Amino acid sequence: MEWESDARELKAAGAEALGGGRVGLRIRGWEIESSKRSILTSSLVQQWEEKLQTSHLPEMVFGESSLVLNHLSSGIKIYFNAFDALCGWKQEGLPPVEVPAAAKWKFRSKATDEVILDYDYTFTTPYCGSAGIETNPESGRETSEEGSCSFHWEDCQEQINMVALASKEPILFYDEVILYEDELGDNGVSLLTAKVRVMPSGWYLLLRFWLRVDGVLMRLRDTRFHCTFRESTEPIILREICWREDTFQALSSKGYPSDSAAYSDPDVIRERLPIIKRKTQKLSFT
Amino acid sequence: MSDLDRQIEQLKRCEPLKESEVKALCLKAMEILVEESNVQRVDAPVTICGDIHGQFYDMKELFKVGGDCPKTNYLFLGDFVDRGFYSVETFLLLLALKVRYPDRITLIRGNHESRQITQVYGFYDECLRKYGSVNVWRYCTDIFDYLSLSALIENKIFSVHGGLSPATPTLDQIRTIDRKQEVPHDGAMCDLLWSDPEDIVDGWGLSPRGAGFLFGGTAVTSFNHSNNIDYICRAHQLVMEGYKWMFNNQIVTVWSAPNYCYRCGNVAAILELDENLEKRFRVFEAAPQETRGAPAKKPPPDYFL
Repeated sequence: MEWESDARELKAAGAEALGGGRVGLRIRGWEIESSKRSILTSSLVQQWEEKLQTSHLPEMVFGESSLVLNHLSSGIKIYFNAFDALCGWKQEGLPPVEVPAAAKWKFRSKATDEVILDYDYTFTTPYCGSAGIETNPESGRETSEEGSCSFHWEDCQEQINMVALASKEPILFYDEVILYEDELGDNGVSLLTAKVRVMPSGWYLLLRFWLRVDGVLMRLRDTRFHCTFRESTEPIILREICWREDTFQALSSKGYPSDSAAYSDPDVIRERLPIIKRKTQKLSFT
Repeated sequence: MSDLDRQIEQLKRCEPLKESEVKALCLKAMEILVEESNVQRVDAPVTICGDIHGQFYDMKELFKVGGDCPKTNYLFLGDFVDRGFYSVETFLLLLALKVRYPDRITLIRGNHESRQITQVYGFYDECLRKYGSVNVWRYCTDIFDYLSLSALIENKIFSVHGGLSPATPTLDQIRTIDRKQEVPHDGAMCDLLWSDPEDIVDGWGLSPRGAGFLFGGTAVTSFNHSNNIDYICRAHQLVMEGYKWMFNNQIVTVWSAPNYCYRCGNVAAILELDENLEKRFRVFEAAPQETRGAPAKKPPPDYFL
């Protein structure tokens, strides 16, 4: 049930499918590609645990899936993958969130002499995408990381033009790539996905971390990217980072439902959660 | 052909039963399940299956690999419902087989066989969508309360959905649990359905969620030793390769939902035990798209913001 591009619309916009079994397209100096693979095998999970120095990873790590946007003339590459996102999780290292049943367990567990694990099982990450310069776009091999190269993200006053994005321009390419997912042992959901749509005028991308700990709290950490196509060597890209968060208790005191079943759609949740952090940045060149 | 045989044929085509038929089926199932022990005795040969999660067409693949019931004797370790598209048909088919061939199929309870969990993870909504009322959900969740909590194969292999509980170090203690209730938030019954083995603890651990036990190698060795068990067979956790041994082959996880949630790309497994308890894992993949019934439709453009 994959999205299919319309050949006539592609042609009219001067775009072409990547072909050769690859998913994505070339348009106005950009190459945009998604790849969706299986979750990591047990042996790869072990390797990742060693590299990340952790003994726990999300139940479903789509470690070989990615979304990549290459600007061919400048070599700028914006990309999204689970590994970088999990590095962010590890670094942020939030304290664990207790589920409602924990109160009862406190006194029960005294009877058993047990080890209490204390990693952030929600896999909350500040990840807002990866970027680098591809020195040799042909081979696609050598990428220098953001920070060591000639561009950075700089806070700006401009805003992503949501009105323009709401217009029903043809969508030439659409895909959603799940980077990781965890069911929190049936106590909610932790999900990191990146979805992209490409129109004749530009591309738009939403990277979303969504967390629901049933009966306790919800988090949405959205990063939106918008690039308007134009004939310049350096692309203009805006990125908006917006974090929202609230507890079930606070939501119910505002008159919203407090059962988890009412919160299965992040877009509905978004309307109800207050913003705790927001900034817009622009890709800037030095 | 009896009504029951006709219903089984119908369910095998993934067509749900009428509400009145579900009610009658559940009543018959209740009479059988109420007689079962919390540690239900199972004879070999038997084929052990892990989580199914409403993936009906993948369960049909399972039966293709493992053979039809009653020719093959089955033990299902729970989590029949939620997450997949066909929880209703999946659970009703297993239940109809149970009523028809009570000695050739054993169903034990998973943590998803619960009123609370099914309201969040799909089964409740599916019943409402397919029947226009929640009656079928009520009949099914009432039956969940009667499902056994574990099984013991030839006195040698202990089978349970989640794992061990520090409150029940012996099988006799499990036998004394009053199971005919909604899955509680704590206590032995909750642990058996919810707990997980964990490499980094030795004896017992507490989940970072503040609720939920984790058990290590020493806890398993001690349980197997005191109950004269060869090993434990459980489900509950997704394994990319379909099954996974831990703690020097003292416990194995079996997972039977291939391409879990229709996107993970994992294979599934069942464990066949012959009359001498010789093991054979049978690994299988998800049903091909074209056998799934529902046509693959091109989705409309998604103008997400």
